[in-house]
Amino acid sequence: MTAGFTRRAFLSKTVVAIAVTVLSSRFLTYTEDARAAGDTHVIDIKAFKFVPDTLKVRVGDTITWTNHDIVPHTATADDKSWDTGTLKRNERASLTVTAGMAPRYYCRFHPQMRAQIEIVGGD
Amino acid sequence: MKIKALVAALTASAVLTLGLAQAKMKTQSPAELNDLEIAHVAYVADSIDIRYAHLALALSENPAVHEFAETMIRDHTAVNDQALALLKKLGAQPRDNFLSQSLQQNAKTLIDEMSDLRGTAFDKRYAENELAYHIAVNDLVDNSFLPNIENAEVHALFTAGSKIFHAHEKHAAMMVKQLK
Ligand SMILES: [Cu+2]
Repeated sequence: MTAGFTRRAFLSKTVVAIAVTVLSSRFLTYTEDARAAGDTHVIDIKAFKFVPDTLKVRVGDTITWTNHDIVPHTATADDKSWDTGTLKRNERASLTVTAGMAPRYYCRFHPQMRAQIEIVGGD
Repeated sequence: MKIKALVAALTASAVLTLGLAQAKMKTQSPAELNDLEIAHVAYVADSIDIRYAHLALALSENPAVHEFAETMIRDHTAVNDQALALLKKLGAQPRDNFLSQSLQQNAKTLIDEMSDLRGTAFDKRYAENELAYHIAVNDLVDNSFLPNIENAEVHALFTAGSKIFHAHEKHAAMMVKQLK
């Protein structure tokens, strides 16, 4: 267990979800400036699956979910502590990984869609 | 003489029966529908599930049933919007047919039946019907429509639609289990 997981209870909505269609260039610029050290990971939502369904990330990394399906989906923490909001077709949202971020998530609209992130590394 | 007449009568009736059966198969097999008729069936099938969902939102007090119904409305509306956009692009009109009509008829009967139910009796009936309905539609799409659709774009839309309907089937199965 990393230290992050023990702090999970204190963590709530430090996560930012932004529909890239609205703020794309500004947000991306901001992301690069503020999180120069963090990697960006891409998760595709395709045919009712999160791909990949397990992703190793570090605190400070950015995860971007893109919905390729006709129908709307979400990526929502099991404990609802973070949520991309509704992603319609071809919409995406990005979250910055925070220490202790709830790792398991699902789609609020299709609860059989499940996936997880794995926070690796220390501090 | 008597036997000969009987044989003749039997043959005539067999031919008649077979002929009828063939005629019936030709106009009344889902596999024989053309792309525009298939598009019509799909639109009707989507619309029916949206109507069931509105009934559930009106009659159910179960949050899980409400969430499922909202997903049905959201998803089937999205599919229908795509279907209409594609038909517009192709400059085509969906065509009414026997299968669309029989689906409508069945739905009317079921809505009448479910409208009289309340509480868990409604929830269970709705959930069971959603499961049965998606199983039936999946069978139709996978076995009768997808192998026969000629237009590549229509085929692609139905392939995507099939994935959505299968996901709904699983979701409905979860709901049925939950309500037991
Ligand atoms: Cu979903």
